[in-house]
Amino acid sequence: MSVEVKNAIKQFGAFTALDRVSLKVESGELVALLGPSGSGKTTLLRMIAGLEFPDNPQESQILFYGEDVTTIPASERKAGFAFQHYALFRHMSVFENIAFGLRVRPKTTRPPEKEIRARVEKLLRLIQMEPLGPRFPSQLSGGQRQRVALARALAVEPKVLLLDEPFGALDAKVRKDLRRWLRQLHDEIHVTTLFVTHDQEEALEVADRVAILRAGRIEQIGTPDEIYDRPASSFVYDFLGNVNLFSGRIKDDSVVIGETAFALTEKSGAEDTDAVAFVRPHDIRVTRSASGQSTLPARVVRCHAAGPLANLELERLDGGGWFTVQLSREQFHELQPRTGETVYVELKTVKVFAESLPINYSI
Amino acid sequence: MLPGFNLSLGFTLFYLGLIVLIPLSAVFWKTSTLSWSQFWDTVTMPTALASYRLTFGTSFLAALANAFFGLIVAWVLVRYEFFGKRIVDAMVDLPFALPTAVAGITLATLYAQSGWIGRFLTPLGIHAANSQLGIFVALTFIGLPFIVRTVQPVLEDLEPELEEAATSLGANRWQVFWRVILPMLAPALLTGFALAFARALGEYGSVIFIAGNIPMKTQITPVIIMAELDMFDYAKATAIAVVMLVSSFVLLLGINILQWWTNRYNTTNLA
Amino acid sequence: MTPAATTFHPPREPRRQLNTEPVWVRRLLISLALSFLAFFLFLPLAFVFTQAFAKGIGFYFKSLTDPLTWSAIKLTLLATGIAVPLNCVFGVAAAWAIAKFDFRGKNLLLTLIDLPFSISPVIAGLIYVLVFGAQGWLGLYVNAEHPWFPWLAHWLDEQNFKVIFAVPGIVLATIFVTVPFVARELIPLMQAQGRNEEEAARVLGASGWQTFFRVTLPNIKWALIYGVILCNARAMGEFGAVSVVSGKIRGQTNTIPLHIEALYDDYNFTGAFAVASLLAFLALITLGLKTWVEYQNARQDETEISS
Repeated sequence: MSVEVKNAIKQFGAFTALDRVSLKVESGELVALLGPSGSGKTTLLRMIAGLEFPDNPQESQILFYGEDVTTIPASERKAGFAFQHYALFRHMSVFENIAFGLRVRPKTTRPPEKEIRARVEKLLRLIQMEPLGPRFPSQLSGGQRQRVALARALAVEPKVLLLDEPFGALDAKVRKDLRRWLRQLHDEIHVTTLFVTHDQEEALEVADRVAILRAGRIEQIGTPDEIYDRPASSFVYDFLGNVNLFSGRIKDDSVVIGETAFALTEKSGAEDTDAVAFVRPHDIRVTRSASGQSTLPARVVRCHAAGPLANLELERLDGGGWFTVQLSREQFHELQPRTGETVYVELKTVKVFAESLPINYSI
Repeated sequence: MLPGFNLSLGFTLFYLGLIVLIPLSAVFWKTSTLSWSQFWDTVTMPTALASYRLTFGTSFLAALANAFFGLIVAWVLVRYEFFGKRIVDAMVDLPFALPTAVAGITLATLYAQSGWIGRFLTPLGIHAANSQLGIFVALTFIGLPFIVRTVQPVLEDLEPELEEAATSLGANRWQVFWRVILPMLAPALLTGFALAFARALGEYGSVIFIAGNIPMKTQITPVIIMAELDMFDYAKATAIAVVMLVSSFVLLLGINILQWWTNRYNTTNLA
Repeated sequence: MTPAATTFHPPREPRRQLNTEPVWVRRLLISLALSFLAFFLFLPLAFVFTQAFAKGIGFYFKSLTDPLTWSAIKLTLLATGIAVPLNCVFGVAAAWAIAKFDFRGKNLLLTLIDLPFSISPVIAGLIYVLVFGAQGWLGLYVNAEHPWFPWLAHWLDEQNFKVIFAVPGIVLATIFVTVPFVARELIPLMQAQGRNEEEAARVLGASGWQTFFRVTLPNIKWALIYGVILCNARAMGEFGAVSVVSGKIRGQTNTIPLHIEALYDDYNFTGAFAVASLLAFLALITLGLKTWVEYQNARQDETEISS
């Protein structure tokens, strides 16, 4: 176990940022902390770094490789932290930024100048910015700045690397490249890494495991497959991607929506109650004719087919509202739906959660 | 395109020309009535030389004192909470708002032998009135807001992340201050210093009462100009004014270069 | 912006001041700063008022109602009354040209506007003596044997037209030293605001003056007021420049600061401080107004962000 947080509480005035959070991270893992803004993910990261302290120091603990660091200040915790807006020192060159953590060490543990140079050069190679050492941060692009921030955090050979929204301030294109680069870098150097993000795609693509936070609690933690395929709550399900909501009623192992019963993939545990069924847009099949009895009639409101996937917006004929369907290009060309016509939809995978809450948060 | 360009720029230039530039050019006209040796003899006469030493020396020391205390005042106003902070913050501008003559007679009386402060200094053998120390006190008073008001906004805008980054990299508080905060404040501090210095060089009203204006000892350069004017020797007065003008311009140039240097970190030139 | 009911706004997480100094360092710095300010600001200010009332309230009002004091007050108000509106118009015009248009030499113009700040007040007075004094351009013109417009020279001579050691010189010197105040407050603000709103107004059919009065002026209101306050304070308190051109004729060419000097030189210290207390009071009002304007400005910014 390389990083462990136990039972941490943090409040800012009336706002609860962390509500008894516990988290375990294995050595060498790359873990994403995913959640909407205000869910406490950055606070958790800052607490691990020692930039915040828990409100309940008696009950809570933070351990690095089994060593209790709860009361150790940030300057002695040896956690590498990269800030969302990089926080590079404007008055220092790239080289000096990276060397900073080594230069501020007390004389007894400070490496000799030659070794500092060698280490910075090595890091510059690692971030593929060897010739840019003498530049100032203002002369770099956003992606380059982020890499310098990473190198600076790595220079002190941290026990854990903590990244706050590492790609948050970048363009979509640079973001994707850097994401891949981070994954590669991690496979190369294998330092335990936690990063904060509000982008589910990023978390699912990059991380070994993803922790989903909501209102100061960890809602679910698991591998990307686990949380995508077996979400623990409606919140997780909704947060991980687009979703259609159908209100219906649970009967036996199926859910009745309008007139039609659809089989549930897992037992809901509830019996004969009102429920909300969750269906992903790509888990819906659309046909021209009511083939079986498990179809719902709907009218095509709008189709747009630009890009690799086509989106249909449909309106239920029984007045149950609108929903979205995603089709592949081939499926779309096969079907050739026209606005206004009636089609029949089959819900392939339906999820029902025991909580009876209509979700209306927005991210 | 918005209207009013010709009108506004025309008026601006006309007004500046009439009020500032044409009258200022009279200085060069008057100087040209002197021969080079006359000019040189005037600006290097012993009382003038002594006054330059005094004016530049005390102005420099006062600006230095202000840089030190001004930084502390700005720091305390930005970083800490204490009773009466808002009033103190507003009062920092008092030297801007208080007429120099009022400051002058007040400081002179305060530091006189029997004054509130002077009576405690005299037994110690310190004489502030009619001395260089008095001039230093007056110039410190005048220059205080320059440092505080240039450093304060920069200090306010310093992102807390920079200090957190330094801390998480293992720097202690003292290292954070010396290696991160102070270098970021340095340009503002230098600008404030130069502004306070420039203001002190030309200061008249607040100094003359406390200085006593003893030739060769406590006579600042503006007082020399004034003395020549009182003797209706306008050419001599102008010659010494030229020396002061040139030094102010050099200083102004220095401040501009300093500001350019400050922006060096902030210019984005992606290669 | 979306109404609060539909969007979840987490309260902004206040930052704990992690990076702060030990208590003893904080206390030390606060006391150092406060004692410095007490010594250099509060003590002198308090001193002005105690000295003013040193001989009782009767003497205080006697000093203030003295005819010489009154004439000094009237002259100061006259000079300020001319200088402030003129520099206000100048400031607005200069800021409009500099902030709303691009032209070559803008930086030079900015430097020229700041010039009076970097010139010693004594030199400011001196240059007007060189232009309008008896040995200056005006004197040379009037006394020239063959002036360009003989009738004008003759007329000026007959009128005994005087600038130096007279009221016009005082007004001019006051204008000179206060030229940059309003412009300096307006230019950075108007540059930051850009010209989008004015262009929008023009597209919607507003005339130039309508654009200025309905769009620009409301946006720069507080900065303008602030500039006027500072300009006013400096105009009333100017000493060095005025002292060169005034000639210091009591009851005629003495402004308030010159009158204070005269009383002080006569060893009438209490009288000098009584009159000085007027200007100190003005300084306090200036600081109060300044704080208030800054507060208003901050409030305006806040409502703009939250609405």
